[in-house]
Amino acid sequence: METLGIFRDIESAATTVEALVKTGFTEAQITSLTSVPYPDGVLVRSGHSFRFRWLAAAGGLAGAIAGFGLAAGTAWLYPVQTGDKPIISLYPTAIICFEVAMLFAIVATMAGMFLEMGLPALSQRPYDPAIADGCIGICLTIHAGGEAVLCEPGVKPEECIGGIATLSATEQKVLAEEIMWASGALRVIGEEAP
Amino acid sequence: MEKMTSPYKWGMVIDLDRCTGCGACVVACQAENNVGICDKKEISEGRGMHWLRIERFWVGEYPDVRVRFLPVMCQHCHDAPCEPVCPVYASYHNPDGLNGQVYNRCVGTRYCGNNCPYAVRVFNFYPHQWPEPLDSQLSPDITVRTRGVMEKCSFCIQRIRRAKEEAKEERRLVRDGEVQPACAQTCPSEAMTFGNLADPRSRVARLSRSPRRFQLLENLGTHPSVYYLKGGGREHV
Amino acid sequence: MSEKQFHESNELKVSGEFNETHRTQRTLQTPKTLQTNKINDDLLSSLRPPTLRWYLLALLLGAVVAWGLAAFTWQLTHGMYVTGKNRPVMWGFYITGFVFWVGLSHSGTMVSSILRLSMANWRRPILRAAEAMTVFCITVAGMFPLIHLGRNWTFFYMIPYPNQRGLWPNFRSALLWDMTAITVYIIGSSLFLYLGLLPDLAVARERSSGWRRKMYAFLAMGWRGTAHEWSVYHRASTLMAALIIPVAVSVHSIVAWDFAVTVVPGWHSTIFPPYFVIGAILSGVAAVITLMIVIRKAFHLEEYLTPLHFDNMGKLLLVISLLWTYAYFVEVQTTWYAHEPIEWEVFSFMSGTYTTQLLIMLLSNSLLPIVCLCFRRLRRSIGVMLVLSLLVNVGMFIERFLIIVPSLSHKNMPFVWGSYSPSWVEISVNLAALAGFVLLFTLFAKFFPIVAVSDVRELEARRGRVTMGRAGVPSIAEED
Repeated sequence: METLGIFRDIESAATTVEALVKTGFTEAQITSLTSVPYPDGVLVRSGHSFRFRWLAAAGGLAGAIAGFGLAAGTAWLYPVQTGDKPIISLYPTAIICFEVAMLFAIVATMAGMFLEMGLPALSQRPYDPAIADGCIGICLTIHAGGEAVLCEPGVKPEECIGGIATLSATEQKVLAEEIMWASGALRVIGEEAP
Repeated sequence: MEKMTSPYKWGMVIDLDRCTGCGACVVACQAENNVGICDKKEISEGRGMHWLRIERFWVGEYPDVRVRFLPVMCQHCHDAPCEPVCPVYASYHNPDGLNGQVYNRCVGTRYCGNNCPYAVRVFNFYPHQWPEPLDSQLSPDITVRTRGVMEKCSFCIQRIRRAKEEAKEERRLVRDGEVQPACAQTCPSEAMTFGNLADPRSRVARLSRSPRRFQLLENLGTHPSVYYLKGGGREHV
Repeated sequence: MSEKQFHESNELKVSGEFNETHRTQRTLQTPKTLQTNKINDDLLSSLRPPTLRWYLLALLLGAVVAWGLAAFTWQLTHGMYVTGKNRPVMWGFYITGFVFWVGLSHSGTMVSSILRLSMANWRRPILRAAEAMTVFCITVAGMFPLIHLGRNWTFFYMIPYPNQRGLWPNFRSALLWDMTAITVYIIGSSLFLYLGLLPDLAVARERSSGWRRKMYAFLAMGWRGTAHEWSVYHRASTLMAALIIPVAVSVHSIVAWDFAVTVVPGWHSTIFPPYFVIGAILSGVAAVITLMIVIRKAFHLEEYLTPLHFDNMGKLLLVISLLWTYAYFVEVQTTWYAHEPIEWEVFSFMSGTYTTQLLIMLLSNSLLPIVCLCFRRLRRSIGVMLVLSLLVNVGMFIERFLIIVPSLSHKNMPFVWGSYSPSWVEISVNLAALAGFVLLFTLFAKFFPIVAVSDVRELEARRGRVTMGRAGVPSIAEED
């Protein structure tokens, strides 16, 4: 369940983020929707590991093995003598290995990127066409409510949901909307609680 | 992966001092191998289909001019440049040391033709016809090639096959002189000798050790199976 | 915003002059929605319904392509004798075309990756066009080897898959390396193009309706531009750029190996792979310049493609042209000095028979660019750049031809020396390839934003002014 506020400029958007954090929402719950990238920290902080790079490396390795199989393995399975060359010829095999490794790495990079982004999105998520025209969206993911997991030592930052989570989801939403309006939102789009 | 070995290494020795340049070998080859019939236009365009050609060179200055002939067919190289470049194994090396060409595998990239330093590979640019009554002399032992396919001298592989089969029936190896390609058979001056180079006592092997021997473009390291013999006279080919 | 302002503030250097016409001081926090709207409108203009002129152009290009297809059908039904090829010249205009188009394809992905990795901000407006060009060039190039086959209908013999013939293709053949590399490059550069398009597709989605909206929405995959998406996107773009450069280098090296691994005099040369790669980048950069000029004119993007961009591209072209000259000199000089008879025969045959072509090539690839591009005024002149960039590609086509044909004409056996001139079929197919490329490109420009909207706007969003002493200095916010 997400609540999205649309702001005309960066300043009001940044004020909203600060106000939301001050109220008790955590940074991990807030993200910005923009049509151009802003440096990290201008609106929100997203400290993420980039696991897709490992996927790319794994893809490259798998590709190298596949390339070896394609060039050397098939030559070994179907041996035909040509030009006094060995059946498994290393130099051409290296070339094919390289090409297939790059192919797999490239495809794995793309696949990993989409996985990490969580795209393609299967459900309809809050968005506003104004964002495409340069407005800033501040999107707050609201927890179902209940127990708060405070950001204490020993708790992973992405797991703590802040003191505000003791409120019910609807109360949280109303609160967030109030803050957004107060900071000068053009529009606030709120998803209904499930 | 089976090891590809054979008791045969087919080869040929051509004695240039005997060659008269009569061209009988060219005709015999054409008749034996279903080689396409080309007209004047095709040949003038450089699209002739000769598997075997006789190169003619003038040596010396008038009036002391001599003519030398050099019959050139596929040299059946052991390190053949044409073989590894073929993407579909149409050109490959058979265990007898022959440079095989599988017509129905050929897709016609013509890469082998470019990479053959002897330029002995001919490409079917035209769809060739055998008008009556020429069609009745087509050999049933070999295929008729369609357009778009590369072809070349096979050392009359159909004859080699037959000789090997007959020898196998009699549980022996092919005897020296038992098989010869059409060109060698036809040569009136007996300039061409064909046989098994792997047998050191065969006639072709003995001739190939002659001090008169040389090979075409030896510097390229293709290791051809065809040896040429030439006297030590002043007229170098 | 005036053209002058755009390119002045676009430069990263710090200029300390006061200028009345500068925009009022603004920082990252100033509203810029209105301006963004204008950029969106400007840059997405290609997506508007096509005009009559566009239809006429498409019709003309389509007619040329149809003519080329007819010529190819003629060849298919009659035989390879309709081309000018013979023994010994078994490769001709088709392979020339192949090498030429592979070379052109190095423009985009290569140029855009290098510029992306080196964070050159002036790259932004030309990224998309260059990347799209790569995809279409390599597609066109990939068709030539199939067109040139003697039995085109058996092309699938070269594809590795378990088949009834019980035979795999021969990976010792350079043609199979080609096929693999080109497949990788087509897939890689298409994904690279798509990656760059992703944020723009989201913008286009919000600004279109009907089937277009559906298409963009599908392709944008629900991109919203969250902070997380953007940061992953940036890392992925950098990684892709780093991955695609070695692929691009390998593709043209392999094309060079088609020639270099043979025993044909004039082809068998160790300098070929780097020389071909340099040649490819030369024709690629020139093609990007041509394209920039055409797009600038066609879509009225004078504000976004300023003389500054041409200045920078001109410098790049100058460097590559110098490199090409160096590589060509090295190739000829080593052969000349060794004077190996048959290799030298190829060179003397080439310079004797194709003197005009050789001179045109040297003039347009080397002399003219090197002389003209030394002058800032000429680099900033659109007309001069158009002529130069077109000439470079004419020269590069000739270069490919002069590499392929003379070597084959005079191979090792003088008795079978020959000559070659292209037939109408080969010329038609080559023209159709050009028309087909332009057609594909114009179609792409009608369906997708041809200028990287988000990239241009990112620069706008990061631009500000800092006050230093008495001067207001343009600045661009950068991340570490």
